[in-house]
Amino acid sequence: MAGIQSGTPVTLAELRPESPLFKEGASLRVTGKIQEYSVETAIATVVDGDSKLKIDTQHLRDLSFRTGSIFQFIGELLIHPDNEAVLQARVGRNVDGIDLNLYHQSLQLLRQFQADHIRA
Amino acid sequence: MPPNLHNTHVKLLAFDLLSLTQTPNPHSSSSDTISFSRRGSPLSRVEILGTVTFRDSKPGKFLKFSIDDGTGCVPCILWLNHLTSTYFSRRRPQDVRLIAHVASDFASLIKIGAVARIRGRVTGYRGSVQITVSDVLIERDPNVETLHWLDCMRLAGKCYDPLPHRK
Repeated sequence: MAGIQSGTPVTLAELRPESPLFKEGASLRVTGKIQEYSVETAIATVVDGDSKLKIDTQHLRDLSFRTGSIFQFIGELLIHPDNEAVLQARVGRNVDGIDLNLYHQSLQLLRQFQADHIRA
Repeated sequence: MPPNLHNTHVKLLAFDLLSLTQTPNPHSSSSDTISFSRRGSPLSRVEILGTVTFRDSKPGKFLKFSIDDGTGCVPCILWLNHLTSTYFSRRRPQDVRLIAHVASDFASLIKIGAVARIRGRVTGYRGSVQITVSDVLIERDPNVETLHWLDCMRLAGKCYDPLPHRK
């Protein structure tokens, strides 16, 4: 159990190559709308605004990836030589009905709270 | 004076829970050989909420699982050995069967990807903090994790911290 890493919540817009979060093997939690899903490859593409990310869902079971649904995934980031990132998901769930504005604002507060707590 | 949190299920974020101060407690019973405190306030029970990301079941013995709330992964143990453990031998058999039945029901709810609200005792295992689970509730609302973050931050600022954060 000690080896299970927490998935740090990030927005898709933050996953740019220059971001400190954009690194091979990083454990992340991402949220986005399913834009497309391939049954053959088990790759889903999720979008949030103008940002998108590919999700490898081959390890997930009992989930139906309907286009337009919002999903949250926890997994590890794999970065290809051309800087294209794929999240190797180990956990996924449908979060249709999530208030993404509240989520994003709360995430900023959470980061500030953690930073203050560590400094205190 | 630090707030008295000892008989409360203190709502904590994982990173906060995992950084509790552990103090050896040589005069207490064997199940409480370590006491836990947060910023000087002793506490014994907590409530966390997050996504189940790991489960390891030993039927009739225990279920180990972990809860990821986005700030850390909390190891949890749900005991399932009530019908064979000598710890319960002095309890009424019908009570023990009921406790065992409830624990078994809780175990069946813990599935990878589920969002669970967990209550229990803070215990130590091999130097790390874990929760010995007493209550499991599966949450369906997609906003519940966000609301838990906000709840924990509000409670930390208004109730749990003896002094306000200084910036």
